[in-house]
Amino acid sequence: MKPKHIFQAEKVVAGYDDKTVIQEISLEIPSNKINVIIGANACGKSTLLKTLARLIKPISGKITLDGKAISKVPPKQLARIVGLLPQSPIVPEGISVADLVGRGRFPHQALFGGWTKKDYEAVAEAMEIMNITELANQHIDELSGGQRQRVWIAMALAQQTDILFLDEPTTFLDITYQVEILDLLTDLNRRHGTTIVMVLHDINLSARYADHIFALNKGKLVADGTPSRVITSNLIKDIFGLDCTVIKDPISGSPFVVPIGRHHVTYGTGALS
Amino acid sequence: MNSLPIFKKKDFSPHVPKNFVVVLVICFIMLVLCVVGSLVLGSRPIRLDELMNGLFHPSIDSYEANVVRKRVSRTVFSLFCGAALGISGALMQAVTRNPIADPSILGVNTGASLFVVGGIAFLNISTANQYILLALAGAMLTAVFVFGIGSMGRGGATPLKLVLAGAATSAALSSLVTAIMIPRSYVMDQFRFWQVGSVSSANWSDITTFLPFLIIGILLGIISTTALNALALGDEVATGLGVRTGMLRLIAALAAVLLCGATTALAGPIGFIGLLATHVMRLIMGPDMRFIIPMSAISGAIILTISDVCGRLLGSPGELEVGVVTAFIGAPILIILARKAKVRSL
Repeated sequence: MKPKHIFQAEKVVAGYDDKTVIQEISLEIPSNKINVIIGANACGKSTLLKTLARLIKPISGKITLDGKAISKVPPKQLARIVGLLPQSPIVPEGISVADLVGRGRFPHQALFGGWTKKDYEAVAEAMEIMNITELANQHIDELSGGQRQRVWIAMALAQQTDILFLDEPTTFLDITYQVEILDLLTDLNRRHGTTIVMVLHDINLSARYADHIFALNKGKLVADGTPSRVITSNLIKDIFGLDCTVIKDPISGSPFVVPIGRHHVTYGTGALS
Repeated sequence: MNSLPIFKKKDFSPHVPKNFVVVLVICFIMLVLCVVGSLVLGSRPIRLDELMNGLFHPSIDSYEANVVRKRVSRTVFSLFCGAALGISGALMQAVTRNPIADPSILGVNTGASLFVVGGIAFLNISTANQYILLALAGAMLTAVFVFGIGSMGRGGATPLKLVLAGAATSAALSSLVTAIMIPRSYVMDQFRFWQVGSVSSANWSDITTFLPFLIIGILLGIISTTALNALALGDEVATGLGVRTGMLRLIAALAAVLLCGATTALAGPIGFIGLLATHVMRLIMGPDMRFIIPMSAISGAIILTISDVCGRLLGSPGELEVGVVTAFIGAPILIILARKAKVRSL
């Protein structure tokens, strides 16, 4: 099992150029859990994730890992604890699956150390977990979207970090693959104890798969806690401006948001709650 | 995870390309062939016994032996220049993450040219050492300038912005070069030969002047290879893997500028070698920088030397400068590459 880490943000303000997107967010990421950041478009959820994952330097405030500011930790050392899969990574032309997954070993390799047995094992294990072992020698260009995303996650897994940030890992995927990816991430969390922090678009999948939810609205953290505590019709109204009723997911028992539009309101509002 | 299969190197290859050994052997054979070709071919063909005399009997002072000795320094110089341009191109492509980046396309060669022309016109410079210092200063300033413009605005130095900045700078600088040269016929004469790009007049002192830059450039290139592999996945992934992207770009760009600046100073602006050498190797061996960098050096050396030999044969009884030959081979290939390259999210 992965060790416990205390990952905290303290009054973090962040944004691009001079535009502030994140406003004084303080939070602690529950260790060894699946954490999901939710919120409407342009509410700053991706910015928050990028700031926590050190892609964006906060304008003010502090981000600490086990009490130490992450900006003070040498990047390679930090990269052995905190991994990151951004939303649109670049696929070099003609790269094979194994080569791409293998590049996740960078923080573990010395400048002229070359490949050690540990590196091979980590790559093999990552491909095994993501179920892409058979694809090892194929070119990425030949894969489907779902397979590609599994390859990218395997790259992040080969890094063998205790904490993994993922920016919308299921976007652009068919529902089948979305569920598949989230199942695989859950396996990873349950078997290895990897702390997962991700931004997800789908509120119901978030509610089902998250242990802990951070809800953002206009750059502010408005609620955080377990899905059943956080996901309420009031919160959805607040952050998405959408009327809805929240029922129990018939499969998982987690909160399930049923939106109420202007049409097709056959049984009246609140009939199911 | 107890049922995990044990993987061996042969099951998958995150490092050595399958055809690496074959490619290496072929490259080595070609290298030997083009060295021999460069020694014996030219406006005065050399027989084998004459070659041996020139190489191994310093006491023999025949005309042919001296031709061979002259061609030895020329060959060594063209191998070094080709290697430097090959690595420089590979590094620039990796830094800008753009498949058509090359010292000539990013304007670095033109910047070096401008400084050399300015030096000839205003400072009366004429020695190799002066050329190299001015050309390096020009190459570096241009690189910083292009990088500076390319990093303005949102998103930092994106590959697309870098190439645009390079093209614009290159156009502006080359018009300055023309503006300095046109009214000064003496500069023209001195500069004409240099500007086309040539390795024909190389001597051993040029080579020793060049060597330190080549070595430093190669060392800086080598220490950045694995990090460049991470950078190829995007700045965000690279940062997540613990790469200091700004520092890496600086080191790799410095190496690239040292290599192409020193080459340009001594041989004149030779275009397209960086592009050709790297692309051939990427096609054959895939995108791993740990192989691309050394193999681009070898293929760059081969291509430049072959081009030089072709120039001698085609231009007979005189010769065609190597810069002309590489431009002839390079231009159509650049067009093919640019057409083939998917307009990815550069």
